[in-house]
Amino acid sequence: MEIEVKGHSGCQIDVVREDGQLYVYKSSRDPKYLARLALQAEKQHRAALPELQHIRVPKVHAIDRIDGMVSVKMDYVYSKNFVEFFEQAGFEQVGYLVDALIMYLEREIKDSPLAVVPRSVVTDKFADVRDKTLANKSFEGDGEIEEIMDASQRVFDALSDMLIPVGTCHGDLTFSNILFNGNNYYLIDFLDSFIESPLLDIVKLRQDTAWLWSQLMYVHPCDTIRLRIAFGKIDAELDNYFASRYEWYGRYYRPLQLMNFLRILQYAHEPAVIDYLKQAINEQLKEF
Amino acid sequence: MSNSKNFSLIVPAASDKGTEAGTMPHIFSTGRDGVLMCVKSVLGLNLEAFDSIYFTILRKHAEAFDTDSLLKLQFRRLGLGNVNIVILDEPTATQAETIVRTIEKEEITGSIFVKDADCFFRAEVFPENGVAVYPLEHLELVDPRHKSYVAVDDMQHVTNIIEKRVVSHLFNAGGYCFEDVAKFLKAYDKYASLGHVYLSHLIYAMLLDGDLFRPIQVKEYNDWNIQ
Repeated sequence: MEIEVKGHSGCQIDVVREDGQLYVYKSSRDPKYLARLALQAEKQHRAALPELQHIRVPKVHAIDRIDGMVSVKMDYVYSKNFVEFFEQAGFEQVGYLVDALIMYLEREIKDSPLAVVPRSVVTDKFADVRDKTLANKSFEGDGEIEEIMDASQRVFDALSDMLIPVGTCHGDLTFSNILFNGNNYYLIDFLDSFIESPLLDIVKLRQDTAWLWSQLMYVHPCDTIRLRIAFGKIDAELDNYFASRYEWYGRYYRPLQLMNFLRILQYAHEPAVIDYLKQAINEQLKEF
Repeated sequence: MSNSKNFSLIVPAASDKGTEAGTMPHIFSTGRDGVLMCVKSVLGLNLEAFDSIYFTILRKHAEAFDTDSLLKLQFRRLGLGNVNIVILDEPTATQAETIVRTIEKEEITGSIFVKDADCFFRAEVFPENGVAVYPLEHLELVDPRHKSYVAVDDMQHVTNIIEKRVVSHLFNAGGYCFEDVAKFLKAYDKYASLGHVYLSHLIYAMLLDGDLFRPIQVKEYNDWNIQ
């Protein structure tokens, strides 16, 4: 059996057999990434502690810091990726997934009391994103990028302090970071987030369901129409669910989704990705 | 069974795919019994259940091969009175589009049964959502790559339909029933812009929206593309 594992963070990923069990070793020697990888592993370790129905987290067995390297040992999970799952999932499986994701997000919301996030957290973040974007050589002389930055500045300038749940989140809850094993869904690649809020996880999920980000990143042939039908259904379910229950969702989802896409844009280099991001951001800006 | 709702049979025979310039699509050729393939494709159905039957063909095939006249002769010979020939001026991009054009042109309402013109099966059909299915293991010759597959649960509900991926021993035998043509059109309008939308995509979308589909178990399935 061929085992395909791929990292997105630049970390080295190795699958190792020890005592008849497979483990994933995720490691980095990048001095700028060492502390972050350790923090992410600790976040994953904490997330694995509570038992949740259908949502699982691979157990972290060790976080080793040796010789300028951080190495994280965790369980290997036999699984399908999101395309393999959605290409074969019947309507019941899609329904189970939506229920499980909502249950997971509700658990995060329960663990995250409402707190005031000063608008400066967002405006400072945008100032940083703007600087990095304008320094990105792919955007040299690109008037459209400058217009996007100006329009986004106006959106964030108009933002007030946000009352949102703060406490816990996955940090990068896209379909690329979910492994599918029957009706169990394994969350991997936890990340630190600029606001540790479940709302940011909803934003990342809808980055895929509403904006098809992971589908864009998938390089193999697949039934894109089937995926878009499934994603559209999931997106409507998530949006309806949270819009009908939480005022903070209706009020702050859009500016935080805009920020999410701007944070991706700042590092973009491939022309197809840049075109996609510009289009998505311009469509979002029309909603303000 | 009550047949108070309008129930129409649509046979899309307007495909231009795989037809070399100047040649007649093979579904208009006859077997040894003298019946056109596309006409024979519906003879295993309980045709009395339908208020109207529509064969949709292309104008260029009608002009080049008199396919409309051929069909009329066949209907007269077989004693089929409620048959209409729908002629499309231009080829469509998908089978789903052919059906939609037929519905729009003929202002069809109620329920529709769509029957592929290149295969035969026997089945009793009713005006309710369903997909014709046949077990793969009953075929001697099969090209599994060119079929869609249908998963059915213990309650005899269709739970999944997938193009070209063998997820079930049941494959779609080339028959689809939509109880409410308005729901079918709504699904088509929503997804047509995505690209080459198959009927299986639309049924999958309707399943996700909570519509129930039953498997229609067919007999004597015969795929003329394989022979």
